[in-house]
Amino acid sequence: METWNSFSSFKFQVSSFFLLFLLGCSHSTSSVIHLQLWHQMQPEDRAVLTKVVDQYDEQHPSVEIELIYKETEELRSSFQSAALAGLGPDLIYGPSDQVGPFATMQFVRPLEQTVPAERLAELDSNAVVHFRDHVYQIADRVGNHLALVYNTKLVPNPPKTTDDLIRIGKEITRDTNGDGQIDQWGIVWNFTEPFFFVPWLSGFGGWVFDGKGRPSLDTKADADAFRFVKSLRDDYKIIPPDCDYNTADVLFKEGRAGMLINGPWSWAGYEKAGVPYDLARIPQVSSTGLWPAPMVSPLGYSICVNTNGKRLAETGKLLNYLLSDDVQREFMTATGIIPSSLKLREDPSYLLHAHMAGSLAQLEVGRAMPIVPELRAVWDALRPAYQSVLGGYLSPEAAAKQAQKSADEKIREMNEG
Amino acid sequence: MNRERNIALWFVAPAAIVIALVVVWPFIYNLILSFSNMSLLHIRDWQLIGPRQYQKVLSEPRFYSILGKTLIWTVVNVTFHVTIGVALALMLYENVPGKKLFRTLLILPWAIPPVVTALTWRGMFHYEYGAVNLILSKVFHQTPIQWLNDPIGTFAACIVTNIWLGFPFMMVVALGGLQSIPHELYEAARIDGANAWQRFKTVTLPMLKPVMTPAIILGFVWTFNKVDIVWLVSNGGEPADHTHILVSYVYRAAFNLYRYGYAAAFSVLIFIILVIFSLVFMRRMNKAENPAT
Repeated sequence: METWNSFSSFKFQVSSFFLLFLLGCSHSTSSVIHLQLWHQMQPEDRAVLTKVVDQYDEQHPSVEIELIYKETEELRSSFQSAALAGLGPDLIYGPSDQVGPFATMQFVRPLEQTVPAERLAELDSNAVVHFRDHVYQIADRVGNHLALVYNTKLVPNPPKTTDDLIRIGKEITRDTNGDGQIDQWGIVWNFTEPFFFVPWLSGFGGWVFDGKGRPSLDTKADADAFRFVKSLRDDYKIIPPDCDYNTADVLFKEGRAGMLINGPWSWAGYEKAGVPYDLARIPQVSSTGLWPAPMVSPLGYSICVNTNGKRLAETGKLLNYLLSDDVQREFMTATGIIPSSLKLREDPSYLLHAHMAGSLAQLEVGRAMPIVPELRAVWDALRPAYQSVLGGYLSPEAAAKQAQKSADEKIREMNEG
Repeated sequence: MNRERNIALWFVAPAAIVIALVVVWPFIYNLILSFSNMSLLHIRDWQLIGPRQYQKVLSEPRFYSILGKTLIWTVVNVTFHVTIGVALALMLYENVPGKKLFRTLLILPWAIPPVVTALTWRGMFHYEYGAVNLILSKVFHQTPIQWLNDPIGTFAACIVTNIWLGFPFMMVVALGGLQSIPHELYEAARIDGANAWQRFKTVTLPMLKPVMTPAIILGFVWTFNKVDIVWLVSNGGEPADHTHILVSYVYRAAFNLYRYGYAAAFSVLIFIILVIFSLVFMRRMNKAENPAT
């Protein structure tokens, strides 16, 4: 009898455990609505986001917001898996190129019903990201563009052309301690990553897609741009032999690189590191007379398709708050973003930010980043080809041909039925 | 009897339900997807299309080249894990001075999160500023190697990182196994005049086998599927997508190119390869232990 009683008690414990487990898995049923926001903001932006969300939390006791940081690639893949499984965060923040795939796969909701048309009209048109006749992302900032960052102590006047770049680069690339190794480089950037290659591709007259939206990588511009980057490393020796994002970042922060190509997410970090720097356009390509055009993309919020009912209403309110002028002003003054609110651009504090002029100058020659899913195939095709040229395995022409073939193939695979 | 059976069922139920939810259902779902056309354009309206995805995977030469690379990756890693692990376990089993300190230090690689290990080693293989090339050039006066720009160099870097990460597990298992070997066997061998090598070959190795066999199978399966180290050290397959093992290639197909059906078929094939390996390996080990069966 005693055994049976303890068994019943055990059964009760097991059942209770599972009940609690299942309740834990479900969304909260209490009066407080728990919202999740996944983002990929850098530490300086993250601090501002935490501050403004804390303020919102205080004003809205019925809502609890959880911020989860994920690196851009992880953000995409995790969101894909979560949304596919019927879960995911309520809001997702990231670059606009994720909108195409997410909207195609129906992982995000159209936002026309969430943000009033009057508010949309107050924003930069580039910040309202359309895909197939619907708005799927609304940005709090535009730009996200690469620019030339130069250490004003090492490079008092930024180069205007690539000839200047090579000349200045040669002057400041040197072995400072006489150990036979270069300690200070002319220019650094994450030169194995295709996103950082695009400015040079456009500077030589090319672009990732042609007028009909097909990849256009097997071009003279592509081969010339490959050759140019390789020559900076192998012939002029003004960039390090091996340089990824972190290496470039550290070299510039330590004052061991005169110039750097990087985007707005990094600039506040250089200020914090005490580097005397300013921004300028990436130098005009001397042989073509064209300005390199970095990809310009808004960074903004989308709502997950699995957010419904009361949660959707609360998510909408939060989204409107995050897009408000007050919140954008916080980011603008703290990290120097280009706000999506047109009204804020008339604000005197807008141009007060020390580096805004350089950032805007670069933005003027930038080109909108395509948001079609096929861009992913282009990156994946361009990366190996580009790296093969740098590794010496392929000629620039052969690499351009291979990139085109690979991009066509990947797009065919992506669209397979 | 019935009551006892009920009690047993209740004890097994929690584990069975969790396994059904997190292992069996995802596996079945993956199996179904492998026969579907689920992709970017058919994420919600996917249909079953038969074995077409399997035909596609098996007809690609790339599958076989990456499979070859995966086998090299797995065999080299597991060989080093076991050799280094057993060697260190033997050393720690003896009464060496500072045994506790060494044991703690040697377990450290296992205690550090793999992401940290991978990124640290990636930094150490940097051409100019990495510790590996600095040691090569400053201590051994050798030319620095372009580890991460060369397919073989990057692959070697991934292997070295994973060896560092994996030997403590084998060491701990072997140490446990060594402690369970009765001392009388060594004493008897000594009386028979066996030297250290003979004692190792005839006593230690056979007695370690039952402990090491499951560990080697687990090690093989884990290493075969170890996507994080390859992905992080090679920065997603660099240079030029040359540094992939099967699972990192599947990851790219699923999450970069949204080819879910194709990636599911690919992963089922990986599963089949691992099941065949485990069965063959266990059968051989059983045969070696019981030649009469």
